Amino acid sequence: MADVKMTKVKSIKTPGEKVKTGLLTGFLNLILILFSASCIFPLVWMFYSSLKVKRVFNADIIGLPKEPTLSNYIRIMTNPDYHIGGSMINSVRTTVFSLFFIVLFGFIVGYILARIKFKGNRILYVLFLMGMLIPVHSLLVPIYVVFNTTGLGNKWFTLIIPYVAFGLPIAVFLVEGFIKAIPVELEEAAAIDGSTFTRTLFSIIFPVARPILVTIAIIQTFSCWNEFSFALVLIKDSALQTVPLAMTMFKGQFASDYPKIMSAMLTTMAPIVVLYFVFSKQIIKGMVAGAVKG
Amino acid sequence: MIGTRPAFVKILYSLEEAAYYMLRSIKPKGRTILLYLCVPVVWYVFSVFIPLITAMFYSLFEWKGGPQKSFIGIENYISLIQDFSFWEAFSHNIYLVFLCIIGQIGVAFVFVLMINSRLVKLKGIHRTFGFFPSTVSAVSIGFIWMMIYDYKRGILNWILEITGHADQTKVWLNEPGLVMFLVSIPLVWQFIGYYMVILLSAISSVDSEIFEVAELDGASAFQRAIYIVLPLIKNTLLVCVTLCVAGNMKAFDHIYTMTEGGPGTSSMVMAMYGYKVSFAQMNMGYGSAISVGIFVLSLIVIGGMQKFLNALMKDKGVE
Repeated sequence: MADVKMTKVKSIKTPGEKVKTGLLTGFLNLILILFSASCIFPLVWMFYSSLKVKRVFNADIIGLPKEPTLSNYIRIMTNPDYHIGGSMINSVRTTVFSLFFIVLFGFIVGYILARIKFKGNRILYVLFLMGMLIPVHSLLVPIYVVFNTTGLGNKWFTLIIPYVAFGLPIAVFLVEGFIKAIPVELEEAAAIDGSTFTRTLFSIIFPVARPILVTIAIIQTFSCWNEFSFALVLIKDSALQTVPLAMTMFKGQFASDYPKIMSAMLTTMAPIVVLYFVFSKQIIKGMVAGAVKG
Repeated sequence: MIGTRPAFVKILYSLEEAAYYMLRSIKPKGRTILLYLCVPVVWYVFSVFIPLITAMFYSLFEWKGGPQKSFIGIENYISLIQDFSFWEAFSHNIYLVFLCIIGQIGVAFVFVLMINSRLVKLKGIHRTFGFFPSTVSAVSIGFIWMMIYDYKRGILNWILEITGHADQTKVWLNEPGLVMFLVSIPLVWQFIGYYMVILLSAISSVDSEIFEVAELDGASAFQRAIYIVLPLIKNTLLVCVTLCVAGNMKAFDHIYTMTEGGPGTSSMVMAMYGYKVSFAQMNMGYGSAISVGIFVLSLIVIGGMQKFLNALMKDKGVE
């Protein structure tokens, strides 16, 4: 995503034109800076407000804290009833397992669909294509019914099932497109050397496909960590709540204590925020690639 | 010539051998393939298609979630067609779609033009910061904006007070006429940067000489935007519009967090309505019919939008 570079077109400008360009420059920069600031301001505001106690915050919602205190953080982290730490562990576990299966299955299915001719190849392809078209929220009620009747609801692994299923279509397509673009000679050479299908798949193709698998992992990390609606209908036990679900419960309990809510939100957002700002270039690239190709 | 013949034959022979191995490995046994495919496919079908079929099945029953179900045929669908609340919710989805196409893609396009002009500094910062909200969960975004709209401690009322408009402060999310617009703002704002980055990457893949030549030829910034940039990134724009439509047909998380569809049904969207009927009123049979309704309507809107856009692009001749 290199910035578009333009060679400067030198032209003779009158002072009037110079002022006009200057004003335009200021105006354009101002608008974009305001927009960028609006994107980051909530984070900054929540951060310094979370260092205030409720009384101070209610008296002055926008000012910087005069006596910053970590009491909100200490209170939310030491009370196990709030499930802050627990929900983060649940979210990490769900996300990691989901990522593992999405990448693994996406890789296998994508590869087979791209390379192996068999009856039903195209049918399978269309089956996965449909997965991208089906509006997820039309499945909230039926998935609740199915999971409850089969006894799969409200377990530690419950959410991994829909997350993997709904992450698969995009993974399959990205892998399929990627594999089709690499020359088949690689596998032919491996075959001549007597490599089995499984070995070729995992020790030869897998490393080659790494960039696309990283892209898939990036997209799915965010969507699994942030997913809310399946968690809402499938999880009843508060000990199994993921972060977004725990946050809605937390907010219900402390509707009036904003600094406390903010400290909880920042704590649970921290992993994803740190991840984003450390790897923002790769993350943005991956998300864009996924969106456009998907 | 004669001396080279055996070597030539040898090569041919080894090629044949290679082809044999190749076929065996590239076309592995059907059983291997089946083994590899069965777990993912069963997993996928179980979580996507089984629920879909289940929804169609239960939508034909009167079922309040308990053990008792009674078959009532298409009665649920007849009530659905006459259900004012459902169609009101649908109209809110459509409202969101249009607001987001203008507010997200339109604004993102303007920002892209601005960033792309030589006058703007800090491009990297705009990209990183602008993209950030789209990586945050909808629940967090909903909270942040609830705090902004809050009556006593909200930033919006605080701004109104310090600018001397204290009489206009409101309990914002309790205004039936305003609430749909207010809950749309976070949605729009969250993804402006997302579309901006997608469009930026589309433009950066275009040869920049095109823009320079146009500028030298005296095309104004507006002309360049409409006649050069727009056709060049047409396909990416189409992708963005499709993403935007699909994303807003399933709007749920933000609205659940901020208003749960209230006050009354003023900010109800389809997914929220389906959730309320199924889980608050425990009307699972009718809820299933609503799910099927959401499914069908979303496909119609997304498909229709794509047809419409393709036709529009053809008319304009910017193939």
